[in-house]
Amino acid sequence: MTLLNVGSGALMANQIALQTIGNNIANANTEGYSRQTVSMRTNFGQDMGSGYVGNGVSVASIVRNYSALLNRQSNTAGAIQAADLARASSLAQMQEAFAGGESGLGAAINEMLNGFSSVVNAPTDLTARNVVLTRMTELAGRFKSASASLDELDYTNKLQIQNDVTLVNSMASQVAELNGQISRSQAAGLMPNDLLDKRDQLVRDMNQYVQTSQVEGADGTLNLFVGGSQALVLGSTASQLSLSESVQYPGSGQLSLYFNQPGNAPVELTASMVGGGEVAGLLKFNNQDLAEGRNLLGRMAQVISTALNAQQAQGLTLSGTTGSPLFSQTTQMPGYTAIDGVSASVSFVDTRSTANPKPVLDATAYVASDYQVVFGESGKVNLVRMSDGLTRTYDDVAALSAQTVDGLQFNISGSGALNETVLFKPFSSAAATMQALVLSPQDLAVSNAVTASINAGNGGSLQLSGLKVTGAGLPDAASSGVEIRFAVDPATSAVTYTASNGATGNYVPGQPIKIDGWEITLSGTPHAGDSVTVQNAKSPALGDNWKRDAGNATAFLALRDAKMFDGGTSLSDGFSTLIAQVGTRTQSAKLAADLSGTIAKNLEADRTSVSGVNLDEEAAKLLQFQQAYQASAKMLQIAQSIFDSMISTVGR
Amino acid sequence: MTNTINRLGSANMYDRTVNNLAERQAKLANLMESTSAGKRVLRASDDPVAAAQAERARTRMDRTDADQRSLDAQVGIIKSGESTLGAANSALQEFRALVVNAGNGTYTQTERDALVAQMTSLRDQIAGHANSTDSNGLPLFRGLGSAEQPLQGTNFLGQSGQTTSDINGIASTLDGVAAFMNVPTGNGVLAVSQGAANAGKAWTDIGTITDPSAAADAASANPPISITFSVAADGTTTYSIAGGAAVPYKSGEKISVAGMGLTITGTPADGDSFSIGASERSDLFNVLDQAIGVVRNAVKADGSTASGSLAHGVAKALAEIDSGMNRMQAVRSFAGDLLNRADTIATNLSARSLQLEADRSAAEDVDMITALSELKTQQTGYSAALQSYAQIQKLSLFDYIR
Repeated sequence: MTLLNVGSGALMANQIALQTIGNNIANANTEGYSRQTVSMRTNFGQDMGSGYVGNGVSVASIVRNYSALLNRQSNTAGAIQAADLARASSLAQMQEAFAGGESGLGAAINEMLNGFSSVVNAPTDLTARNVVLTRMTELAGRFKSASASLDELDYTNKLQIQNDVTLVNSMASQVAELNGQISRSQAAGLMPNDLLDKRDQLVRDMNQYVQTSQVEGADGTLNLFVGGSQALVLGSTASQLSLSESVQYPGSGQLSLYFNQPGNAPVELTASMVGGGEVAGLLKFNNQDLAEGRNLLGRMAQVISTALNAQQAQGLTLSGTTGSPLFSQTTQMPGYTAIDGVSASVSFVDTRSTANPKPVLDATAYVASDYQVVFGESGKVNLVRMSDGLTRTYDDVAALSAQTVDGLQFNISGSGALNETVLFKPFSSAAATMQALVLSPQDLAVSNAVTASINAGNGGSLQLSGLKVTGAGLPDAASSGVEIRFAVDPATSAVTYTASNGATGNYVPGQPIKIDGWEITLSGTPHAGDSVTVQNAKSPALGDNWKRDAGNATAFLALRDAKMFDGGTSLSDGFSTLIAQVGTRTQSAKLAADLSGTIAKNLEADRTSVSGVNLDEEAAKLLQFQQAYQASAKMLQIAQSIFDSMISTVGR
Repeated sequence: MTNTINRLGSANMYDRTVNNLAERQAKLANLMESTSAGKRVLRASDDPVAAAQAERARTRMDRTDADQRSLDAQVGIIKSGESTLGAANSALQEFRALVVNAGNGTYTQTERDALVAQMTSLRDQIAGHANSTDSNGLPLFRGLGSAEQPLQGTNFLGQSGQTTSDINGIASTLDGVAAFMNVPTGNGVLAVSQGAANAGKAWTDIGTITDPSAAADAASANPPISITFSVAADGTTTYSIAGGAAVPYKSGEKISVAGMGLTITGTPADGDSFSIGASERSDLFNVLDQAIGVVRNAVKADGSTASGSLAHGVAKALAEIDSGMNRMQAVRSFAGDLLNRADTIATNLSARSLQLEADRSAAEDVDMITALSELKTQQTGYSAALQSYAQIQKLSLFDYIR
């Protein structure tokens, strides 16, 4: 009788084992499925006097193979990989806006400036002037389209984050629901393996979007936290994430992820707090990489339009008037803050000046960065340059607005409480709003506003290398101009000059002689008594000579080499540094994505080495339990034949 | 990568192999893309430094092209300036020959009038040359600035001076004032003029300076130093310098006066005089006009030739035309220098252009040999991966369970 019992027990247990193996094989490719094994238990033996006789086997439980540690590690690595990947692919798209080559922005800048070289040789040629103006329109167009592609990226990423957030919210509530079911099952003493698998898979999926940390509760529930300590799922209740413009900086377009808990104020989660997941990657891209891209582009647009407008204002048009602006120019940008009663702006022009129009501050000092004002104790203000974190401290807002910082003036009215902030994005829209103003070819200020004559009676070999306007203070048109006379010390042969307006100095060939608002560069060696006269180009004595002069076009050409960016990069090389900057960013994001991808892949392999189904293993087990099952069946047969033998013996 | 674990999830194993295959395929595709485009750096992120270098090289090449174009234009302008000065010079040579002809004492005024007509036409030619324009309609000789028609009569509405050339280009105008408008009268320091009432047939050359400081004093002497002749009844001729002692006169003898050696030739009449003043800055067109005037007015009321004033005027005109020609030639040779320089600059520009192209290519172009061998390696690797995948995925224990 016992043998029959033992046999049927073994048959049952092995059948369950076979079924479990079958289930493993069936679910070999099911996502999130954890391999199950049957845990068997010896039935306690029976004391027969001569010792314990075994009672066979029974199934203790069906074990789900998984490692909480590997699960967590794999989730985190997956989250980080998703973040890096999202950022790298967005950067790769952004990089296209900064492409080099002939269709790039850099080519447009240089072609436009090179166009002036034709004007230099033919100042009265309207075609050459028109070519330059057309290239200016083209340049503004390329800035606009580069900026538009950044906007497009901004928009699609925003939508993507919005989608992700919706998904995360729905998954969070599913996890909360599963938590409830699992805790009820566990209370009933059962292991709901499939529910656990489902929950783990949900958490794994969720980590693709937002990195979570998981803490298991005693009742089998899984609590999920985002941004370090915000409980997204707590037992069977789920909270919600939402995406909106930063409430701190209304109007700024800056995106923030908010954690909303019923009954509490929303908590802002920054990209670095979220850590991993596509949302973090995209958020970081939008708020940092894209902002930097916009700033670089905007700064370049602002510098170019400022430099060209300034040069244009120093020359004379074909009709003899001072040049009017070539590009429309933003003079100020708003500051963004939610502080009550505080309004702020950042200005490119000197707001304290009474001149009309107000003079532009130093464009070469611009740094492609956003700025933040943080109010300190007792009204002090800290101005933080976001690109490198440089902080400058001022006594109050008035002291701040009295300063020119990086070529900008920050004006704030009112004051905030400790740690309240104002955000400034001076260059965020300069590229988008860049516009070449409509000018006729005659209006290009090609001619120099000052002109020189080298006295024909000079005995020396003076020649004119350069003459340009540097600011206000030209010789009066009604006067006969400024005569610079040279003297040679007979003993030392040192050459000095004396101008008729009193300026004196040592003459060095090739070095500019700077007087009032102009400078003249001469080469050659003068004899004693030689002279050069500089006059206002509009001096009536000179008739319309200025029409055939291209001095200001030469100055436009010289802008190519003017050190305009970050104190050392020339206007014509500016774009190549941009290419390198954005390229490096993209490259390092790619490398980071590659690295985190490898890590995630390895951890996933580790995780599946515990939880995944190995078909060869299952095949081997299949044989193993098949044999055990067959042996158990044999056991029954033998029990039967024993029984039969006994019956026949008894019945005889 | 080696696994420390000895149990592999089948699904994961497939996934990873497929992933690896996809990765290899992507690499192969990237290689093919860069090989077919011939570029190692297709996007800045492939190699940011090289991308920036290539962009800078391209910028410089564009600029070199612009410089080259501009240099071509400048060379065109200076070439036409140089040839214009050449043409003006020939005209001036011709004019000079006519002046020499006009000095022939046997010519009648009618013959001289024919010469005057020719001289006037040549003068107008030269004036036309001074007003010539480049292909853009700008005066060739505008120096540091000029009116549209710089030469109006004998006025030159232009600013004197010459712009320098720079490292990538040459000046695009020539100094018209220096070329045409700066001719010293006399010998450059002193000028000898005939007394207005001279009746004799004496003339002087322009003199050669022997004592510069005495000459400089003479230039500022007030009243100017004059040489006055007196002819006695017996025909002996004497002269006195600035009212000094009378010295016997001998035609063709070099006398020393005012720091220069001056030769007076011919027979002066009693009371004839020459006065020595400072040389003045005249211009070519005044010189030509005066020469024409001398030839046109070389007739006395009685129809005979005023040979004294004609000879003196011719000598003066020839000397001044020569110095005018020198001035013009100086500007012409400056133009020649500029053209030489332009050749050098052009050579430099094309050498730079080549160098920049090499820089650009080194930065972003693919090295075909390396790329092709890399491609081959990747191809082999990929096909090996495919094969081993096909082999390994065939292995299954189930195949052996019969």
